[in-house]
Amino acid sequence: MYQVLMFDGGVYKINEFYELIEDIGGFVVQKTQIQVQILVTFAIPEEDRPIIEAKARELGGKLLDVPLAGTEIVVVGPTLGRHHMPHPICDIAETLRRYGAITVVMGLARGKGKQTAQINAEEKAIINEYDAAVFVVGNFRECVEKHKYKLWQDIEVPVVATCGPEFSSLPYCEALVCGIGRKVERMRRAEEIQKLEEVASKVQKIITDRRRDIELDPLFVHPAEIKDRLDELEAIQENLRPAPVVLHVDGVRAKVPYDKFKDKIADLEIYGRKLREIATISPSRMEGSILMKIKTRSQVESEDRSRAKD
Amino acid sequence: MEMIVEGTDKEGAETYAQIFERILLEMGITTVLERVHLLIRPEDPLFVISVRMRKAAGARSVHEVANLEDMEGGVMVSITDENYAPRLLALLWKTYGRDRVEQLTRYEVFVSGVTRMDFWEMKIDPEEELRAQVLDAIWKLVPEGLKIRHTFSSSDVLTIANTEHGFEADWLKKAEEVHHKMEAA
Repeated sequence: MYQVLMFDGGVYKINEFYELIEDIGGFVVQKTQIQVQILVTFAIPEEDRPIIEAKARELGGKLLDVPLAGTEIVVVGPTLGRHHMPHPICDIAETLRRYGAITVVMGLARGKGKQTAQINAEEKAIINEYDAAVFVVGNFRECVEKHKYKLWQDIEVPVVATCGPEFSSLPYCEALVCGIGRKVERMRRAEEIQKLEEVASKVQKIITDRRRDIELDPLFVHPAEIKDRLDELEAIQENLRPAPVVLHVDGVRAKVPYDKFKDKIADLEIYGRKLREIATISPSRMEGSILMKIKTRSQVESEDRSRAKD
Repeated sequence: MEMIVEGTDKEGAETYAQIFERILLEMGITTVLERVHLLIRPEDPLFVISVRMRKAAGARSVHEVANLEDMEGGVMVSITDENYAPRLLALLWKTYGRDRVEQLTRYEVFVSGVTRMDFWEMKIDPEEELRAQVLDAIWKLVPEGLKIRHTFSSSDVLTIANTEHGFEADWLKKAEEVHHKMEAA
């Protein structure tokens, strides 16, 4: 399975580092150079970590674990009103970013209240585009256990629920973190920071499990390989949106309009195949974005076989 | 400040009491309230908050917070206590209109067509502003989804009952009881 790490060091002999990553079958996810310092986020097969560690030592840099790099996670609150935002939703999003995830914060149109709290089909579809969702709800036991869980009931991606009261479990969520609830100030006390770490570790476990599931029937290419090809496009290079190409566990989001660029992207070649053959390309619910879900090897092979029969 | 918490979800209600204390702290008005009563029944849902305000520091005369100097065509008001500057300016605008009140610098205001003696009985009352601030703190506290409200108000006690769809008669009765209890305290 791939492991995502970050190299923090100098640019001296950095090309040797890139070559080593390539030689062991890894990918560079992101490079950020600040004068002679460089941060490289990359994915490598986890069994080859000692080789990379040795090289990092040789170059005088250090390796950091960024277990959520290459994921996009949505943090959902009942509304974007001051009662629910910005605390603790922003604190959770910030913690996940520190572990390498790209995070998006979302408030529901009609998420407030008890019996009136609801989520619509459009909102569910948006949330389902991400790798995992964190739902942040409030302090009243009765309200959470009888009503609020309905917000994430039909979400297809894994959900981490956070709330104020202590529960042993809540329905329809993969993980639960209690003791957060509503806040009116930043979560900066030791016990609050511990809660944030708990959320991050639950998300991390979900992502690791998902990656392991994918390993059972591996993707035809790693998402970072598609990102490499997309980065060569002029539309991506000139794109002013932050992170124009975002990696998902099983695909990629490119922040360019679907109608204008779908054919160009579908025609990109990877290992002698067109992207349209190895990935499902669809418009994202996020305006001006394209979503690519990479097909598994077995899926591509079976499609090849059925094409050959025709 | 004395805080009384009552309700069916003790843990949730206690958290809301802490949240309210934090909100007051953040707004810098912790000393304004003498007593707070929270009645929270999430299963109804009913959220009653009743606050009893301390007597605000008495109203101050304009000449206590500013130097007044008669000049040709009007009075030059030089504010000496900056805490009262926004309230004094607002009061002058309200009394004489924006045309006659000219703010020259941050603390100097020229009011045309008056003399010093016209300000003799003019007073700045902080109570109204504090009341507005307390109300703001309450809006910040009350759960966003509880949109149906009923208010009981007397000179120094303010009670607001909130629910989601509509009040049942005994809920309002209960809120009124809380209000009277606070008045009597």
